[in-house]
Amino acid sequence: MLILAKVALGLGATMAMAGVYVFHEGVIRVDLDEHREGGGHVHFWLPATAVAVGMHFVPKDQLNHTTEQVRPFLPALREVAKELEKYPNMELVDVTDARDHVRVAMVEGKLRIDAVSGDGDVVHVSVPARVLRDVADELEEKAPGV
Amino acid sequence: MQTYRGILVTGSTLVLAGVLAAAAFLPTRAIAQETATTSSSGRSEQWIHVRVESKEDHGETVRVNVPVEMAAKVIPAINKNNLHDGKVHIDSMHTNDVDIPAILDAVRSSRDGEYVTVQGNDNNVRVAKSAGYLYIHVTDRSEGKKAAASDGKPGAKARAGHESKVEIKVPMKVVDALFSAGKDELDIVAALKALSAHGDMELVTVKDDQNTVRVWVDSKNVAD
Repeated sequence: MLILAKVALGLGATMAMAGVYVFHEGVIRVDLDEHREGGGHVHFWLPATAVAVGMHFVPKDQLNHTTEQVRPFLPALREVAKELEKYPNMELVDVTDARDHVRVAMVEGKLRIDAVSGDGDVVHVSVPARVLRDVADELEEKAPGV
Repeated sequence: MQTYRGILVTGSTLVLAGVLAAAAFLPTRAIAQETATTSSSGRSEQWIHVRVESKEDHGETVRVNVPVEMAAKVIPAINKNNLHDGKVHIDSMHTNDVDIPAILDAVRSSRDGEYVTVQGNDNNVRVAKSAGYLYIHVTDRSEGKKAAASDGKPGAKARAGHESKVEIKVPMKVVDALFSAGKDELDIVAALKALSAHGDMELVTVKDDQNTVRVWVDSKNVAD
């Protein structure tokens, strides 16, 4: 019985450590609701670490194609992400009219984009600023000449 | 009984492992947040605010807030069209034999006063320098006249409210920094750095019968 407890302890500790590691960069959250007939509803949470890890498994030719397209914007993206990390709570852009509302803000270290349309469509995206920098760094690494 | 104790010990150890691991990974973020708070409250950081308000019913409102320091660091990373290394290249700086940098240099070295005053039927323009600031005020009534003419009243005075007013107030140090890059170039980053050294101030106000635009700098991270 003691051995079982030890095994459980080992497994549990490993899982706890793995859990903490997976979530230490935060969570990417996407909520999409189309409030109309047949409208889509997408809700998912993704550990931010998964993005950095996932990029290692993207086929090289597809990654090259992507980096070709975004290459001119990578230095700016990296700088923006780096600077955003310094401002964990701020409102960057807010556009409101009679029907729609779009807000881009930093909320607790995450870049948050909220869009609500007059039709009732709602989009909420929340991405840790650190992830943006990791993605920019990763793409730059794979885009020589930047 | 021993089994329960084993499970209890295992559970407690797991919780402890989780807490320790969290403590190992989380300080970076906590420190980053603390630093950011200190930087935003400790030294008075300047923010550029832009607000566009439509006067129509349920009109659009746009609010943009950007830290000056952030803009000064991000702009040099953008190299597109005429913008390179934080400088904008302008081909028409000497259009029609008017040497804008030379004029600005003359204004800079001159005493305070009104340099340009134009009072016309369509426009009023005033360019002045006072107490280290450059003021440019333009009142445009041409649209009001067009509107009045379209109402079938040729030669009529501009419709009331159909005029647009532009008021620009820029510290001379910012103007100097803007033109410090040399001929045909505007140094945006240098201007932003010079701007951040100034206190709260209203930079641009545009008012017409449809929209109000304000650009100002202060140490708040939200618009009024």
